Amino acid sequence: MWGGLKPGRGFSPAALLLLATVAVWELPAQTIPYQRPVDEAPQERSIGGGYKTPAVQKPLPRSSWLQILDVAVLAVAMGISSWLVLKRRSRKSLVALAIGSVAYFGFYREGCICPIGSIQNVAVALTDPHYSIPMVVTATFFLPLVMAVFFGRAFCGGACALGAIQELVLVKPLQVPRRLDRALGLLKYVYLGLALFFALKPAVARDFLICRFDPFVDFFRRTGPPHMLLLGGAFLVAGMFIGRPYCRYLCPYGGLLAWCARLAHRGVTITPDKELDCGLCTDACPYGAIEKMRAVRRNCLYCARCYAACPCDGDLARAKAQLVKLS
Amino acid sequence: MSDFTRRDLLHKAARGTVLATLGGGAAFLVQKAHGQVVWQVDATRCLNSRLGVVGVEACKLCTTECVVALSAVRAVNEHARCGRCNICPAYFNITSAVDERGLPSEKLCPRDAITRKPIGKADPEDPANNFYEYLIDEEKCDGCGKCVMQCKEPLGLGSIVLRIRYNRCVDCNRCAISRACPKDALIQVPVEQALRSPDVGRT
Repeated sequence: MWGGLKPGRGFSPAALLLLATVAVWELPAQTIPYQRPVDEAPQERSIGGGYKTPAVQKPLPRSSWLQILDVAVLAVAMGISSWLVLKRRSRKSLVALAIGSVAYFGFYREGCICPIGSIQNVAVALTDPHYSIPMVVTATFFLPLVMAVFFGRAFCGGACALGAIQELVLVKPLQVPRRLDRALGLLKYVYLGLALFFALKPAVARDFLICRFDPFVDFFRRTGPPHMLLLGGAFLVAGMFIGRPYCRYLCPYGGLLAWCARLAHRGVTITPDKELDCGLCTDACPYGAIEKMRAVRRNCLYCARCYAACPCDGDLARAKAQLVKLS
Repeated sequence: MSDFTRRDLLHKAARGTVLATLGGGAAFLVQKAHGQVVWQVDATRCLNSRLGVVGVEACKLCTTECVVALSAVRAVNEHARCGRCNICPAYFNITSAVDERGLPSEKLCPRDAITRKPIGKADPEDPANNFYEYLIDEEKCDGCGKCVMQCKEPLGLGSIVLRIRYNRCVDCNRCAISRACPKDALIQVPVEQALRSPDVGRT
C-alpha cells in the first residue's frame, strides 16, 4: 500500500541546500535534524487503500442573485420611504423602516454596498478605460439619484443605513443657526472633491476616502480601528442633539441628491389649505429644511418629523380624529 | 400665470436633462460592465509563500490589517500538493526540543488550528514512512502566515498558501490589507478565475 511513497533520495543538490538551512536552525543540540521525506506530493493513486484527497475549503462569495436582492431591497425601501412620507405622512412607520434599513444594510450587509461609496467607483469607471464596475454597483449609484429627481431625497429618509442610524439617535434636536448651517453644508462638496481627487489618481495610488472614513461602518461590522470607532461614537453623540451631522455636512452623496432633489417632481409639502401658520413644523424640523413655512426639497431628509408635530396632519391628526370618533 | 408656466417648463427641461445625463452615464457603465471581481492573494508575490524568503519571521499583516474581526485571509492546505510529511515543518515547530516520541515538542500554529491524522496505520518503528493528512481549521485560523512560511520549498512542498475566505471578505473598495502589503500581493481578479485557479501564477 505504501509502494509509491519513497523517502527522500540521499544527496541531491536540493537536499544539500536543505541541510545547510537546517544547520542554521540547529541551535540547541536536542532538536531533530529535519529532512523532508518526499520530494513530490503523494497522490491518491500512489497512496492507495482507497485514500481520498480531502476537498479544499472554498467559501463562495455572495451569490449574484443575493446581490441583485440587495438592489431590490434598496429600491423597495426607497419606494416605501416615499410612500410613507408623501402619502401616508406617518413618522411612526418611517422609524420602523429606518430600523429595518439599519438592520439590513447596516448590520446584515455590514455597510457594503452603499451608494455613497459607489460615487468613487462610478467616477473611476467613467474615466479609467481599464476599470469597470459590476451592474449592481451602477444600479446602486443611479437608483437613489433617479428617485430624487422624481420624489426628493427618499433614499436619505429610510433607505440609507448611515442616515437611519443618525435619525434613530436624534433625541433632542437643537436648531443650528441658519448661516452656520449653510456654511457647514458646503463642507460636503469639499469632501466630494477630495474623494474624487483621490479616487481618480492612477491605479497604484488610488484611495477610496469615503469608504475609509465612513464613521458608522465600524459599528455595523462591530470591529475597527480605535480612532474610527471613536469618530463614529462622536458623530452619534453629536447626532443626539444636532440632526444628522454626517448627512448634512459631510455626505458627498447627499450633495448629489440635493442637486437632483431641487428638481423633484414631488416632495414633502406643507399643505396650504390645512395650514394654521403656527410654525410648529419649522420648529420640529431638525434639518433646517422648512423656510418661510415651506419645505425646501434639497434639504428635506424625509424624516416626517414635521407631520408628527402637525396638529392638522399626520399621526397626530389621525389620533385626534380617532379620539373624536370615540367620544 | 404665464410666469408660472415658464418656470414649470424650465423645471421640466432641467429634470429631463438631468435624467438624460444619469441615463447616459448608466448606459455607458453598463456597456463596459464586467462580472464580479474579488480580492485574491497572489502566492507568487506574498512574502510568506514566495520562494527564496526563508528563516525570517512570517509577515502577519493579513491578520492585523483586515477590517473584519477574524481576518478574511486564512491559510489553506492544498492537499494535492501536500507532502503529508511525518514531521511537518508547518505543524511542528521544528526548532523546539525533541520529546520522548522523537518528535518536536511544540506545535507551530499559535492558535492550534492545524490537526493531523495518520493515513492508514502509523508504524512507530518506521517514522519516515508514516504519512499524515493535515487539516487547517477554518474557524481557528487567523491568517498569520507562520505555517505558510515554513511549508514552502525547500523545507516543505509549498502546499499551504494564504487565501481569502469569501464568506468573510466584505470586498472593500480598496482592501485594507492591500494598502499595507509590502509586496502588493493582494489583487482583484474575476470571481470565476479566483474560484477556478488555486492561486495566481502557479500551475
